[in-house]
Amino acid sequence: MVKLIENEILKTFYKKRIHVIAGILLVLIALFAYGEHYTLTRTQDRVAEQLGIENAEDWKNIIGQQLQDLERRLDNPYIPDEGKASIQVRAEQLRFYLDNDVSPIGSTAARFMGQFIEQSIFLFLPLLIILLAGDMVSGEVNSGTVKLILTRPVKRWKILMAKLLALSMLEMFVIFMMALFSFAIAMVVFGYSGFNEPVITGFRVFEGQLDTSAVRTIPQWQYLMMTYAIGYFVAFVIGSLSLMVSVLVRSTSASIGIMMSTLIGGSFLSFFISDWKLTRYLFTVNLNLTSYISGSFQIVEGLSMTFSTLVLLGWSFGAIGIAFLVFTQKDILA
Amino acid sequence: MNTDTVLSLKNVSKKIKGRPIINDISFEVKKGQIYGFLGPNGAGKTMTLRMIVGLIRPTSGTVEICGHNTRKDFVRAMSNVGCIIENPELYEYLSGSDNLELLRKMEPDISASRIDEVVELVGLSHRIHDKVGTYSLGMKQRLGIAQALMKKPELLILDEPTNGLDPAGIKEFRSLVKSLSKEQGMTIFVSSHLLSEIQMICDEVAIILHGRIIKTSKVEALSAGQKITWNVTNVAKAIKLLADDFGVEAVKDTEETLSAFTDDFRIMEINSAMMSSDIGIKYVSRQQKSLEDLFMELTGGETIG
Ligand SMILES: Nc1ncnc2c1ncn2[C@@H]1O[C@H](COP(=O)(O)OP(=O)(O)OP(=O)(O)O)[C@@H](O)[C@H]1O
Ligand SMILES: [Mg+2]
Repeated sequence: MVKLIENEILKTFYKKRIHVIAGILLVLIALFAYGEHYTLTRTQDRVAEQLGIENAEDWKNIIGQQLQDLERRLDNPYIPDEGKASIQVRAEQLRFYLDNDVSPIGSTAARFMGQFIEQSIFLFLPLLIILLAGDMVSGEVNSGTVKLILTRPVKRWKILMAKLLALSMLEMFVIFMMALFSFAIAMVVFGYSGFNEPVITGFRVFEGQLDTSAVRTIPQWQYLMMTYAIGYFVAFVIGSLSLMVSVLVRSTSASIGIMMSTLIGGSFLSFFISDWKLTRYLFTVNLNLTSYISGSFQIVEGLSMTFSTLVLLGWSFGAIGIAFLVFTQKDILA
Repeated sequence: MNTDTVLSLKNVSKKIKGRPIINDISFEVKKGQIYGFLGPNGAGKTMTLRMIVGLIRPTSGTVEICGHNTRKDFVRAMSNVGCIIENPELYEYLSGSDNLELLRKMEPDISASRIDEVVELVGLSHRIHDKVGTYSLGMKQRLGIAQALMKKPELLILDEPTNGLDPAGIKEFRSLVKSLSKEQGMTIFVSSHLLSEIQMICDEVAIILHGRIIKTSKVEALSAGQKITWNVTNVAKAIKLLADDFGVEAVKDTEETLSAFTDDFRIMEINSAMMSSDIGIKYVSRQQKSLEDLFMELTGGETIG
């Protein structure tokens, strides 16, 4: 089995698929970093202008004032305990900025890495994975080499299993490249890593309301580990779906085309998500998992981290099941 | 089952979308034989080979390779088989040696040095590190043969292997097949639509037409018959004489000629019988039998198309 997986990984590398993906990643991350840098300078100027201060370096005074304000509210006996929890968290974050001399308006490599995965998890990352997985089986049917591997003394399910395992390793490699490239480029552009900066997380939805009683801060590196792990999970789900489509159709272009249009078309349906209950079982509307931990999600009754994860797992297992069933039974006529 | 049967098909049929493609095929290939599988385009040769190597499932019937049922014990059955079905299939973006290395890892035990051996055998040593995308058709064919031979298979299955080879390549291929059979005792199953090719290399042959085996026989028995044409004064009388006295079925070709399939040694007998029955013979000619003639003979006039 190890040798079979090795073969599959070798094929992907020789086909230069990984090179293409790495190239796309580099270009996009560089553009994203440039854009981020550009908006930041603009924002800093604007903020400085609004507050009537000479330059944005005076942020310390402003943060200092905000912190004092928060501390006063903490002493206020009329604010309920749940409210105090979130104030405490916010104060803790501000204190970090002051203590470590990090501007909250500026950017750091860690913040950039977080933003990049948050922004790419529901569309860009899936597209890359489709590119990677779309021809795993259909590519071999296309070129006829499927006849070669299916006439070896190896059971068909083992061959597909090797492809699935190779794919999950390659997905991990893509996520790793994403992290590495965005870190390296952000370090060049922003010059500060900021892995210890506290990030607020722990948002929940309770009875249709955003519940902030459980919010807390965790260091950036921990937050990044979580978001990139979630990124990997999403990649795996999309990978399984692409693998299934790749088994079902004969041509690589059809396989990639079908997955891409489903992904993009399916994400439009999130417009109807609050009214049309069925749409929430689509995989496309559940991909934005990182929004649940960053607190930037749209509140929809019944949608939660657990719900979305389960829906995605369901799709993934279903797809893998169908892929194995069809692949082990089908006649190779082409 | 006989222990020296390497390949056996029993009542194999295949329907695709309700249309029968292969109908109730049965035959056996013995160890060490070069067995030909002869049929015109569209007869079902490739389809049958696909079933033998497990690319498609028979609708009914069984295939056994070295005693292992290909459905129930695919791995053991296929560990005895090297094959090329239709075209050699290669990863164009890999070099020749990487292609072989990839397959080596899918087989239980092939030594690394075996790769050099087969590359040498098919005469590809000078280009083996180039990308397969840059190979000519003949070179791809050779690499395909190397792939099939790599594991020293008990049974070698080749589908129209001389397609795309030049005359020198074809000659080389024939001698390779013969030496594999003679020196390594390899059993070889080869399909073709050329009677002459089968006659030149095979011991035994199964002939397929419209998805049915219409004859299996020793190759000598096939080539014994030749097409003889007589130009005579009384065609009808001659046909009757051939049928009554010699049991040979003759066909009227033109007003003056008739033809029939028969062996050399009978021609003289037939000629003298005709003369003694007052049938004047202007000339007699002999032709090597073509596949069309063979089918005429076997099916009694049904055309191939
Ligand atoms: N994918 C397919 N679906 C349905 N029928 C098919 C398919 N492929 C081939 N056939 C039919 O199966 C029959 C046998 O085809 P096959 O390829 O086995 O012929 P063959 O004997 O190998 O001919 P050739 O000498 O041209 O290679 C043909 O009638 C063909 O039309
Ligand atoms: Mg064919």
